[in-house]
Amino acid sequence: MNTKDVMEKIGLQALNKFEPREVDGVFVSDMLSDVMAGAKSGNLWVTVQTHKSIVPAANLVDVSAVVITSGKEVPAETIEMATKHDIAILSTDLPIFELVGKLYGLGLVSK
Amino acid sequence: MPECQHQWKMTNIEFGFIVFEKCSHCADLRTYFSPDDTWDEYKEGDCTWSIVENAQTFRFDLQCTECNHLEKFNDLMGLLFCTGCLEDCEVELLRKKYEAEKTWLLVAFGFLPQSKTNPIPAYKLEILSDHFNQRRDTSRSRIIIVPFNLIKDISLCRGEFIHDVGMLSLEPPEERKPLF
Repeated sequence: MNTKDVMEKIGLQALNKFEPREVDGVFVSDMLSDVMAGAKSGNLWVTVQTHKSIVPAANLVDVSAVVITSGKEVPAETIEMATKHDIAILSTDLPIFELVGKLYGLGLVSK
Repeated sequence: MPECQHQWKMTNIEFGFIVFEKCSHCADLRTYFSPDDTWDEYKEGDCTWSIVENAQTFRFDLQCTECNHLEKFNDLMGLLFCTGCLEDCEVELLRKKYEAEKTWLLVAFGFLPQSKTNPIPAYKLEILSDHFNQRRDTSRSRIIIVPFNLIKDISLCRGEFIHDVGMLSLEPPEERKPLF
């Protein structure tokens, strides 16, 4: 399942242009340090953080996309930086708990 | 016996804070890792040290899963993402060069002031780059980590630390203030 498939199945909104990537598991955290320590390549990173520093953290650990939950507004500079690094920024109005339930329902688990 | 092709894994992970202190007397900056969120001001000779920032972070070591060799990284303060603030800075020039090769550059900082005279050795930065490259699909892009002494003027640097600032506040600051 790739990032486009996940988007369509859950109704996530893409905030930038990106090349679809295979999604391999999910990582949920609002801490950049947590992501750097524990996220794996291909993970979908679920967070409420929108500051542009999520981009270098996402890039460092090679996540397949960042999903911003709870309808948080994402600053333009975050989107611009993510596009430059080919990191998908996806958005949803769902709170983290509900989104994670839907991702789990798709067979995506923590890896 | 052939040399081990190390496969690095993070170990001894410890979450805590990087404390940034500034002296009101000499304007020096120093940093250290603390397991606690401390904000104490104190005097030391003529110096009065006040905390200007606490960032949540973690420290770790890297261990080879093949040969168990352990490389300690307790001298690593953090990684900084170059934002291209100084066009003639060597880091910015390298960043542009590497980006053309789909290689993303990050700057490693050691703790201050020790790292000014005793920087993190190049071989350790190579190990760190190897670790992050081993964790990613390198057919898409790669990571390279360079030392902070390539920064032209650290007092003008507006790079972004990959740190968790303001995470203990209910309302995280929208804009981060420069640390230097």
